[in-house]
Amino acid sequence: MNTQQLIESLSRDVPRVTRHAPEKRVGFGIIAGCLVTLVLVTTVLGIRPDLQVALYGFSFWMKWAYAIALGVAAAYAVTRLARPLPGSLGSLWLLAVPVSILAGIGISELVRTPSDRWLAMWLGQSWMICPWLVLTLAAPIFVGLLWSFRKLAPTRLRAAGAAAGLASGAWAATLYCLHCPETSALFVLTWYSLGITLATGAGAVLGPRLLRW
Amino acid sequence: MAESETQLKAWMVGGLNGDERSHAALLGALVPLLHSFYRRRMHDAEGDVDDLVQETLISVHTRRASYDRNRPFTAWLYAVARYRLVDHYRRRKLSVSVEDVEDILAIEGFEEQVTASMDVDNLLNTLSPKQARAISDTHLDGMSIAEAAAGAGIGESDVKISVHRGLKAIASRVRGTRQ
Repeated sequence: MNTQQLIESLSRDVPRVTRHAPEKRVGFGIIAGCLVTLVLVTTVLGIRPDLQVALYGFSFWMKWAYAIALGVAAAYAVTRLARPLPGSLGSLWLLAVPVSILAGIGISELVRTPSDRWLAMWLGQSWMICPWLVLTLAAPIFVGLLWSFRKLAPTRLRAAGAAAGLASGAWAATLYCLHCPETSALFVLTWYSLGITLATGAGAVLGPRLLRW
Repeated sequence: MAESETQLKAWMVGGLNGDERSHAALLGALVPLLHSFYRRRMHDAEGDVDDLVQETLISVHTRRASYDRNRPFTAWLYAVARYRLVDHYRRRKLSVSVEDVEDILAIEGFEEQVTASMDVDNLLNTLSPKQARAISDTHLDGMSIAEAAAGAGIGESDVKISVHRGLKAIASRVRGTRQ
């Protein structure tokens, strides 16, 4: 095909693109993925029976605030990395804020708990499956983000994949809170974060392969 | 003569607003720019240059949502063009990792920008001071015509004429040295 014909055929299909289209697209991909994950949480895992009560407790909101803060920061990073000139990602050090706050709460837990119960508190009932469930639940959201990237132009594929993995892991953890009955900050800091980190690593590995365009 | 950033950006924004003619004008104007971009980097493969230009036009078309209207268009364009070149090398399975190629290209781009600005300075020195100042104010420093006129203490139409004549002189000089 010669270049002139190519230009003519491309110019026959010029839909309007709104301002902030990448942000909207990334948001849509995350929400669509979250809906699938939500269905998995409610049907396969089941909502925790005491959710009504837990909504009035501190630990539920602590977990939610932690996961949502990571999710918002990661979604922002994805929108940056979805453009060919991502610019500086220096503001990502803000990720340290929710982590430090949760670590602070964890230390106060240790102070208030006798040391012979530390291990039980840290491991909870579900430490062995929690990270893997978060990783699995992240998959639909990651797929949603792959869809978002289809009309965007990431040039740092590994970083973009990692950011997408972090976002999917954090939002998966947010929805997993609806099932998980654990209450300890140290539990969340370790095992939730491990699941989110696994998702981030998976994204970094898959990014260069799946985000090519 | 290559179209200016302002003109290219206006066409790009027109296309984003759904105007097919702007979009076609943009893609047409990008062909010579991309040709020289790739030719400078691939001395031995003329056929590949044509392929890369077409692939980049398709990328500009399909990925146009990733352009941020508040930022310069040419910077976005060359970032897309660089990515297409990296991807081209990767498909050829050159034994360079993607990250390395990106670094190489980033450094290469920096050097090129520096020489480009030196070239611009050399060219501006061949003009009359009034023309040089008018071009540098409006095209390099991004002033409006009115700001440039106020700054130089001359009329707005004087600025416009100086820019026009100056650019024409530069264009003929560049064409002359290339032949």
